[in-house]
Amino acid sequence: MPDLQFKATINGRQISRTARPHQRLLDFIRDDLNLTGNKEGCGAGECGTCSVFVDGVLMKSCLLPVAKAQNATIETVEALAKTGELSVLQKAFHKTGASQCGYCIPGMVMAATAALRANPFVDREEIKERLGGNICRCTGYQKIFDAVELARDVQNGRLPVDALFEGEAEQGDFIGKNVRRIDTPSKVSGRLKYAGDMTMPGMLHVQVLRSPHAHARIVSIDTSAAEAMEGVEGVITSADVPGEDGFGVFVNDQPIMARGKVRYVGEAVAAVAAEDPLIAKRALSAIKIAYQELPGVFDPDEATCPGAPILHDYAPDNVTKHIPIRVGDTDKGFAESDLVVEETYTTQAIEHAYLEPEAGLAYVDHDDVVTIVSPDQNITHHRHMLARIIAKPISKVRFIMSPVGGGFGGKEDMIYQGMLALLAMKTLRPVRLVFTREESIISTAKRHPSRTVLRMGLTRDGHIRALQMKMISDGGAYGLSTEGVMRKAAILAAGPYAIPNVRIDTIGIYTNNTPSGAFRSFGALQTAFATESHLDICAERLGLDPFEIRRINAMRDGALTHTKARLGSVSLMRALDALEKASGWESGAPTSRGHRRHDLNRSDIRPPCTLGARFAAVEKQEAAE
Amino acid sequence: MLTCDDYLTPGSLEEAFDMMASNRGRHRIVAGATDTLPWAREGRAGDVHIPALIDVAKIPDLREISVGDKRVRLGAATPIQRFLDDRTLARTLPAMPRCAVWFADDQIRAQATIGGNIVNASPAADATPCLIAHKAEVELAKYAGGKVTRRRMKLDKFVIGPNRTALADGELLVAIECDALPEFGGSFEKVGHRRSLVISLVCLATLLKLDEQGRRIEDVRLAIAGIGPKPVRLEQVETFLCAGPLSTERLEEAADMPVSLVASRTRQDYRREVVRGFMLRGLINAARRAGADSAVLSSELEAAYA
Repeated sequence: MPDLQFKATINGRQISRTARPHQRLLDFIRDDLNLTGNKEGCGAGECGTCSVFVDGVLMKSCLLPVAKAQNATIETVEALAKTGELSVLQKAFHKTGASQCGYCIPGMVMAATAALRANPFVDREEIKERLGGNICRCTGYQKIFDAVELARDVQNGRLPVDALFEGEAEQGDFIGKNVRRIDTPSKVSGRLKYAGDMTMPGMLHVQVLRSPHAHARIVSIDTSAAEAMEGVEGVITSADVPGEDGFGVFVNDQPIMARGKVRYVGEAVAAVAAEDPLIAKRALSAIKIAYQELPGVFDPDEATCPGAPILHDYAPDNVTKHIPIRVGDTDKGFAESDLVVEETYTTQAIEHAYLEPEAGLAYVDHDDVVTIVSPDQNITHHRHMLARIIAKPISKVRFIMSPVGGGFGGKEDMIYQGMLALLAMKTLRPVRLVFTREESIISTAKRHPSRTVLRMGLTRDGHIRALQMKMISDGGAYGLSTEGVMRKAAILAAGPYAIPNVRIDTIGIYTNNTPSGAFRSFGALQTAFATESHLDICAERLGLDPFEIRRINAMRDGALTHTKARLGSVSLMRALDALEKASGWESGAPTSRGHRRHDLNRSDIRPPCTLGARFAAVEKQEAAE
Repeated sequence: MLTCDDYLTPGSLEEAFDMMASNRGRHRIVAGATDTLPWAREGRAGDVHIPALIDVAKIPDLREISVGDKRVRLGAATPIQRFLDDRTLARTLPAMPRCAVWFADDQIRAQATIGGNIVNASPAADATPCLIAHKAEVELAKYAGGKVTRRRMKLDKFVIGPNRTALADGELLVAIECDALPEFGGSFEKVGHRRSLVISLVCLATLLKLDEQGRRIEDVRLAIAGIGPKPVRLEQVETFLCAGPLSTERLEEAADMPVSLVASRTRQDYRREVVRGFMLRGLINAARRAGADSAVLSSELEAAYA
């Protein structure tokens, strides 16, 4: 493949280098120039972490073949604070707290810079639209929009420069108190190094071979052709695990790489470390694996039927964990009720979609300490597990937590660090693995899909007398956090409501689906969705305002929960009051409002399916002319 | 991942045809490349190796734009963003900026080209219905017998179905010609799961010209996409709208007419609701922009749909 002589001006400096014809501009600036401020979040133009200016026009560098930028003037995020001083916009991001994990922020800062260059008087709606190509998963966007408005006003002289700096510190300790994030400058400037930004001399690149089958016996694995390829420095399979294989949060049911059989599509089977990612990728296709497909089970109800395929020998009933809670006598509670309502609620798998795909760098140091650097949300537990798996004393295993570019629970599982350790040990060279977005989605844990049958008995005046709930959750192929998620789901299933008779069962089941794991709220979402939806339905049946039915049943200060926790103070009533006010709630039973909303033309409500805030500015300008 | 042996950037149409001839059977044409790169990823085409990628985006002929009294000629490599940035284009093709603002996002439309959107022939391509409403023709060029020959074709005939066009082997889409409609009001209505970077579930382009009093439709063009395998002009509705004075009743009756055309593979009921709503909103928005008499349409209707 003939190389291409690439010339450009990058951040004010002229460069002339050879590039490979298939390289994207993003690869060139990150890998060849080591300008890692702009990130790769999706590789498909969807997320905007890679946004750079090309001849003054903002573009997504993951969609740009490098040759398209031939002779161009390119600015990466590093150009904005080149002198070391942050730009006005970057300072505004710091002031408003517009960064959390920080992974989207370099791209956001670039998009916001472009918005202010395009229209120095840009309003909030237009800011939203101009930043539409950039996704953030942590901040909720409002602080980012605040930052752009602040920078706009400072640039236009409407606000003094002092507005960019800290105002008076708020007194007291409370949730919502303004604090100035000390890590923001490193994030808005792109200087913070995430694992995928880190390199070491002599570093190898890792690629993982994944199962195409949901359930299959591995008959044989032949890695010899891959190992013989030039540039391939190491190939591993489960046979390379020196110690006692198996990791998990509650039960160690998952091997570092599939051992004997695969249990879901996307499960790691082998991994290659090579001089560059392309060689490693090619080596994967040289690994020969013979599978014998097994019947799979993809529905948790079917998985518990007699004769269903069994995933793990230790759990012949496919039950990962069952959490029962019993309070009072639900039969008596239903008998005392004037209304009994039963409904079924389902929720689906949800991907965390943190902007930073999984990545890690591992090496064996001069003292033979196996060191793994990754955005790992549970390094201490993982260190203990890995020591057992690689048969080393704990003092010879070290985990370093790199900045986490969003986790939300999705980075609590040790799904790739083991492979990195084994390859570093096998090659005695630093090794780095960076997931693609597709790989992250196919192989990592999801929120538990659930099916909940909920039965509630209430008196005519709205008091809940009994709640009976059974939630079946699809835990997927491995245990991961399922046990904890089932426990939390059960604990919070009856909501913040004083209910005398409660019977709850939450059950996690093994299937051949992608494993389910930790995800913000950790099981409470599924049961709360059922309970809260159910309360609205019951309110409608009883002719009560949905806020009222909650107030009637709310736990008060000093309440004892269904799991016997004594609550010192309960803020539910205050929260309901605040919510009712802020939402512009039209009070009354759900049936009292008619079929049409009355607030559609309010000035603060944007009509659905509208776009084009920028036309208002154009029309204004044309009218003036 | 997309790999290639050569990434070629011809500087002229002749050079492009030379490269196509010498790489016959082993090349692919790219323009903006905004769909080609995501296409060569896991879940779509997977890893793809194409020996020669020929990038036509910088050929000067393909970037030329000329605006005449009757027709506008757009080079095929015109980036979508031009419809927002170029005020002459925005004035003569009044629905195009409204369409462009919904197209991907600011960054991708700086790179993505009008020709690429057409040749890709996605059933959800946003620019195609808008251009069809402008009575667009495509100009196709081919190198044969030592010279470049050209032919023309109506855009709605050129797009045959999902990802299929009438482009022949060795042919390049070089330009698009469409009606200059400076006296028209334009609108583009679109719905998807979000506002940016979203594939249309339904989109509707409307162009409308009123008489001097702003009370009667003199000319109207409607084209809709997302409800079937390819975009369609709504000629029957257009004829009906021009047959009498502009009124709430006429718009409501017109809005019902295309509802029965919904033949999508999924979510037909939802799309029927959307089609009716979009017809009203598109016509009202276009009529307002064309200078409609404010007394003609009921304020209730405008409040509900515009």
